[in-house]
Amino acid sequence: MSHRPSNHGGRTYWQSFDHLEDAPSVQELLSREFPGYSPSDIASMPRRRFLKLMGASLALSGLTLSGCRRWPREQLAPYTYTSAERIPGEPEFYATCMELGGVAKPLLAKAFDGRPIKIEGNPSHPASATWGGKLGSADHYAQASVLELYDPDRSRFVIDRSGPSPRQATFEEFSASFAGFLKANCPAGSGFAILSEASESPSVLDMKNRLLAAMPQTRWVEYEPLSNDNELLGVKQATGKAGRAVLKLDQADVVVSFEGDFLGIHPAQVQYANEFSRARRAADTQGRMNRLFVIESTFSLTGSNADERLPVRPSRVELLAAALASELGIPGVSGSGLEPSEKEFIAAAAHDLRAAGSRGLVVAGAGASPTVHVLAYLINSALKSIGSAVTYVQVPDRPASHPAAIAALAQEMRAGGVKALLILGGNPAFDAPADVDFSRALGGVGLSAHLSLYMNETSLACKWHVPRAHYLEAWGDGRSWDGTIATAQPLIEPLFGGKSVIEVLAMLCGEQIDGQAIVRRALQLQDDAAWRKAIHDGVIPGTSYPPISGGTGSMPQVAPASTGKFELRFVGSYSVYDGRFANLGWLQELPDPLTRLTWDNAALLSKKDADALGVKNGDMIAITANGRTLEIPAFILPGTPAGVITLPVGFGRRNAGSVGGAEGAGIAPAGFDVYRLRGTDAWYFAQDAKVTRAAGTYKLISTQDHHLIDDVGFKGREVRVGEKFRSGRIVREATFRAYYESGRQSNVFHPPDYHGPASRLQLFTPPTDYPQADPGAPDLFNHPHAWGMAIDMTACIGCGACAVACQAENNIAVVGKEMVELNREMNWLRIDRYFKTAGGSVEEKRNDPNPQVVFQPMMCVQCENAPCEQVCPVAATVHDTEGLNTMVYNRCIGTRYCSNNCPYKVRRFNYYDYHATGPRSGRYRMPFLNWPDRQQKDQIDPLLWMQFNPEVTVRMRGVMEKCTYCTQRIAAAKIHARNEWKQGKRPSPLVRDGEIVTACQQACPTEAIVFGNLNDSGSVVRKWQENPRAYAVLDDLNTRPRTRYLAKLRNPVREPQPPAEEKHH
Amino acid sequence: MSATTRKRFLFPRWANYALPALIVMVLGGALYVPTVVTFGFSTYTTDVGYAPIQPIPYSHALHAGELGIDCRYCHSTVEKAGFAAIPSTQVCMNCHTNIRSTSEKLKPLMESWQTGKPIEWVKVHDLPDYAYFNHSAHVNAGVGCVSCHGRVDTMEVVYQAERLSMSWCIDCHRNPEKHLRPRDQVTNMKYQPEIREGETLEAAQLRVGRELKEKYRIHDEQYMIACSTCHR
Repeated sequence: MSHRPSNHGGRTYWQSFDHLEDAPSVQELLSREFPGYSPSDIASMPRRRFLKLMGASLALSGLTLSGCRRWPREQLAPYTYTSAERIPGEPEFYATCMELGGVAKPLLAKAFDGRPIKIEGNPSHPASATWGGKLGSADHYAQASVLELYDPDRSRFVIDRSGPSPRQATFEEFSASFAGFLKANCPAGSGFAILSEASESPSVLDMKNRLLAAMPQTRWVEYEPLSNDNELLGVKQATGKAGRAVLKLDQADVVVSFEGDFLGIHPAQVQYANEFSRARRAADTQGRMNRLFVIESTFSLTGSNADERLPVRPSRVELLAAALASELGIPGVSGSGLEPSEKEFIAAAAHDLRAAGSRGLVVAGAGASPTVHVLAYLINSALKSIGSAVTYVQVPDRPASHPAAIAALAQEMRAGGVKALLILGGNPAFDAPADVDFSRALGGVGLSAHLSLYMNETSLACKWHVPRAHYLEAWGDGRSWDGTIATAQPLIEPLFGGKSVIEVLAMLCGEQIDGQAIVRRALQLQDDAAWRKAIHDGVIPGTSYPPISGGTGSMPQVAPASTGKFELRFVGSYSVYDGRFANLGWLQELPDPLTRLTWDNAALLSKKDADALGVKNGDMIAITANGRTLEIPAFILPGTPAGVITLPVGFGRRNAGSVGGAEGAGIAPAGFDVYRLRGTDAWYFAQDAKVTRAAGTYKLISTQDHHLIDDVGFKGREVRVGEKFRSGRIVREATFRAYYESGRQSNVFHPPDYHGPASRLQLFTPPTDYPQADPGAPDLFNHPHAWGMAIDMTACIGCGACAVACQAENNIAVVGKEMVELNREMNWLRIDRYFKTAGGSVEEKRNDPNPQVVFQPMMCVQCENAPCEQVCPVAATVHDTEGLNTMVYNRCIGTRYCSNNCPYKVRRFNYYDYHATGPRSGRYRMPFLNWPDRQQKDQIDPLLWMQFNPEVTVRMRGVMEKCTYCTQRIAAAKIHARNEWKQGKRPSPLVRDGEIVTACQQACPTEAIVFGNLNDSGSVVRKWQENPRAYAVLDDLNTRPRTRYLAKLRNPVREPQPPAEEKHH
Repeated sequence: MSATTRKRFLFPRWANYALPALIVMVLGGALYVPTVVTFGFSTYTTDVGYAPIQPIPYSHALHAGELGIDCRYCHSTVEKAGFAAIPSTQVCMNCHTNIRSTSEKLKPLMESWQTGKPIEWVKVHDLPDYAYFNHSAHVNAGVGCVSCHGRVDTMEVVYQAERLSMSWCIDCHRNPEKHLRPRDQVTNMKYQPEIREGETLEAAQLRVGRELKEKYRIHDEQYMIACSTCHR
């Protein structure tokens, strides 16, 4: 049957086991636009009665003239004092930075009338610059941070819990009480401890030094649940200096990664993804393409982008690293103890590394042991790639192990050695190692205080809580992964009077609380011009950490592999990181790149282990390791090595807020708390775990089967146009060698039975037949511009930054797990993840232990011949003259015909007023929130209002919506261009190439998305669309999409087997 | 006819009331439809003439008319931004520091100046939030202020002069030549096109408008009425 997962080159593309098997549930999802919805389920009355009532209400609505009255009176409040550069309603950009895990992400924040509403990367800073410094990219955590700023659940008051009942206090009271206690009980800071999040911010370090100078006995402890301890240790062992590896992935032709997730969760992910994709795209212009080998014990985003991947158990990684070192002639290591397949893999990697020489690179990830980091250093050193493809930089020394540090602190707290404890940020009561039992230790401390954005688990266990200033509300600075300083400035007054870390430290030092002065002092920018420049640019160039030279450390001992049945692997979550973003709906609802799970985590295991345990997706399993037990639902992730269970941390927050879980309000935690299993003895992985089937099942919602593109549009189509129009219309790919050897011909990407696109049949008369602007440009809807997009699947790594950026830019609602289950998620931009497995039978394909992955970002492709437009009864979706398939919200009456007729499945319908109901309130069943014409505005939290992009309509219940290439950004650029032209400031009224950047394009760290004018033969988008790799998805439907995809290239060691005799369905 | 004659169809008894009911409905409809239509197009609904009371009885007739202050002195962003900014208190104070600074009517202004709190003017021209009108796009294209706002220079109290409905917008988007004027005449409230001999005012406007449409490369009709031109 035609809607089977598509076959290509003997391998099959599929999104879930159900999809692969063509299960009835998938049939339902494919054949029905609105699955799970039956009119009889929601109707409490027969259809006829319903129609009668609707008719009557229509007549009555005319009587009451509800549409014909003036909307509420609005006030205009101009500034009192004119600000020279501020124009009301025009966006402004300010450079700032956000620290995550101690490393700064340099950003540009976009503000409308003083409200920051959107985060972009800072193009001036090397850590976030893309397109050669023209644009900046920010990852999905940074994109979502603006939602954090306006989160109504943020704590709003200083709370004093030292009395019998909590009371609201002021910061002055806190400061007097805390400083007074220190003076009385902690002379010179003895018995006073500060537990801080990791930070490399110069101003925090400066304040820390000042505090330690004033109170030398103070104990400063740093704790971060996701840290790079092993890297620090490994580099120290290898070179004698605490340091870390700064990769230059565009200088590497061969990359071998051990447990590295530099394209997924890594502080320098944006920069690395950018460099990596540049090296991959060399395939188009140069006769080479980089090759990525990944050896890992979990299926990471980096692994899913590998050319060659070896899934192994965590305890074997050291052996494999040693074997690679030995193969490359590093003395003193042994390469024994490998399986034949591992041996082959290592031999191939070694061969390529040798050939690449200084353009070869070995990467060790955060989850790899220090030994692996040492081996990586030794191999890089032997390859002479240090200095070119990688630089090791020296970082300020610090205690090597975060779990050990917090364990020692808790020990002292229990022993009574800590009289006063100040916790700066973080959430140790939730994320400290399980064997430390930090919460109990905290109870015994005489005076404890927590500075935090939220009243979280730790705040509730402390005597004082102080609201923290969000990074968009405070002065600050930070250092990116390579050490280059980024500056931060406030865009808005603290909404709830929060204080930043440096301000609290200043208070303890008895200094004046002035964030700006502290930062300026720490950065030593006394010169006004230099200070203004640093704040304006957001970067101080030339401040990267010094490189480490030389160093011959001792050869580490390679640990033997574990023989236990199960090993556990703890990883950070792509959505909530370490748990701190648990209350951000955008991230909770962002499907995990590989599992596509939303709102939950799960124990990820292989098909083989699941079969052995007798569990299916969602079945509860009990995991016991080091005497601790956790029950968590299982989820089969193909590609997970057998004998390994991956556990993403950060979920299961009890006091995150009304989105992530709030005990007091009766909102259950989202997901399962994996920290209960993670101890100092089992930090990145645990050996000898026991896993058994537990009672019950849990509803896990994965979007992997949602919005499935049906590759030819059902059997009926096959009947109509014959079997030759078969599959291969969605994903196209080839190996680099095949592409290169063909002389870069487009036919290498074609499926075996490809006969070219269908005839250029036009189903309807376009509004105007515009003359062709120039040959090669579209011959329809091209006046005066012809908008088009191109997406390079060779560059796309599937990180999801684009999806969150789109959500932020376009006021897209979060719907909640209950609604996602019904296929009602609103993300305009989704990333389709296809597994690609080999084998003949479904069984073989399902059990392929090492599937390949294809990521395909999918949003409205703006068909010239749009099927949605044909069926709209009210013309609410029509073309404009420049090729946009516009969506007119105020005209839409919600028939949903368009969505039903969209072959790409990119239209989203507002079943409820999602912005007003919130994702977890359970208020969906209310038919009307308020009087019909005022519902959303009255119900949405005014704080959330502040985040909305004023350039985009906030859609209400009953309205269809979709991507329109960021039409608001197009309009702004067009108006700007014409105004300048009319004022004689530019020669043409047309928009220049690169002037319009869509939100997804701007966020993409790999520059995989490009947008522009197809009439302009010099535009980047035109060049991309003329690339031999370019193709239109589902081109046989003759929809003539304006978005084209550039086929994926892989660079495997060996060419795949020629396609087996394919059975035509 | 056979013996098994079918029973004849008889209307039920209630059918006797059908005709009177129909008459009532038709007559009712004859009243209802014009009422709705009249009401829908009335100034009450379209808000023409809407003149809310402002916190300060600011007279455009005095400032723009009698004193001849250019619109852009106060609404300074009109050529570069979507919003024609309402002037800040500071702009008023440029003159009113010295002029009538003790006037009772200007009390809210002085208060704002001292406290830093903005004056809250009431919005007169209020489009729906899904219509994205941009002042700079129109002003730079030679659409005069007066085309939408009426003779503000004669208004003691600003009122809404035009309907500001979608059909009203579209009228001009279809035939912009009826309203175009040279860019340097945009804020001139009394502007009239140069009338050649034997020409009516309308003909003169059409001639000038067509020339300007060409000169300013105003988009064609298809573009001007595309949804994405105004809605996002």
